Amino acid sequence: MANAEVDALDFEDDDLMDEDGTADVDASSSPRAPQPKLKSAITGGAPKKTKGRGFREEADSERHSRLADRNFESLGTDGGPGPQRSIEGWIILVTGVHEEAQEDDLQNVFGEYGEIRNLHLNLDRRTGFVKGYALIEYENFEEAQNAITAMNGGELLTQTLTVDWAFSNGPSTGPFKRKNMRPGRTHRSRSPRRRY
Amino acid sequence: MAGEEDGEFYLRYYVGHKGKFGHEFLEFEFRPDGKLRYANNSNYKNDTMIRKEVFLTPAVLRECRRIISESEIMKEDDNNWPEPDRVGRQELEIVMGNEHISFTTSKIGSLVDVQSSKDPEGLRIFYYLVQDLKCFVFSLISLHFKIKPI
Repeated sequence: MANAEVDALDFEDDDLMDEDGTADVDASSSPRAPQPKLKSAITGGAPKKTKGRGFREEADSERHSRLADRNFESLGTDGGPGPQRSIEGWIILVTGVHEEAQEDDLQNVFGEYGEIRNLHLNLDRRTGFVKGYALIEYENFEEAQNAITAMNGGELLTQTLTVDWAFSNGPSTGPFKRKNMRPGRTHRSRSPRRRY
Repeated sequence: MAGEEDGEFYLRYYVGHKGKFGHEFLEFEFRPDGKLRYANNSNYKNDTMIRKEVFLTPAVLRECRRIISESEIMKEDDNNWPEPDRVGRQELEIVMGNEHISFTTSKIGSLVDVQSSKDPEGLRIFYYLVQDLKCFVFSLISLHFKIKPI
């Protein structure tokens, strides 16, 4: 059931939406499905414990429309599953980074696999220590792949690192994977109409 | 922490206000299928809306869950937080495991606002979590698209 609801929220599909920001008022007249509230769409399945004023306020339609537009830019993909190239290179995510790690520590380890074009080692805003992850950009796919292969499960300052791609060409696998979804296409054609 | 790995996950954060430059806001969303959506609208100097989307790997979603779990935001409640006002509003909606929160509050200028509220402990958690999440999202978006968010 959840799949169907997610489908109804697929704003890449065409239909009666305008190009400007007012698209959403038309959504209810879409032949595909009545516009579900984001909430109901994401809570398909077991009932949830809910908490917060957001549930008590009369949901303004606007809230569900700001992100409910299909005119979001994305980088095109060349199709197929797997990692997606970013605009200037390939980005990997390193997690399990020790809170006292320095940029130099990561440079030393990950510089082995190619020149690091960009390194984000973000800090915890409360403590000022490293938050626990780093994002690293390499120019070439092979450099990034080699870093992942070599360092995933490796150790830095006594902590085990997890290293993986940051961006993918399509929906993540797992419980939310859509059936029959061909990954890697940014422009999807209209689904065939149901036949009777 | 099993809650980080299993079950549904959704997150949406909004901050914005309506003023002389129209509706100015920043909003991002992590969707269950891994899609990150980012929107930033300011009409100041005729800026146009920035809207970006990209699919994240499960590894990135796992890290996002970890940040949320460790903040313990799901244990909080917005009952005693300042109500959204003319200066602006923030919304944080998270579905994780079998819990679903949808918190709203005003903009928080600094820790002084946190301290003077009726729930400084809860609001502080919100205040720092939002900053950590923004920082994560800005890094992802700026590395992928080479734009400077905000």
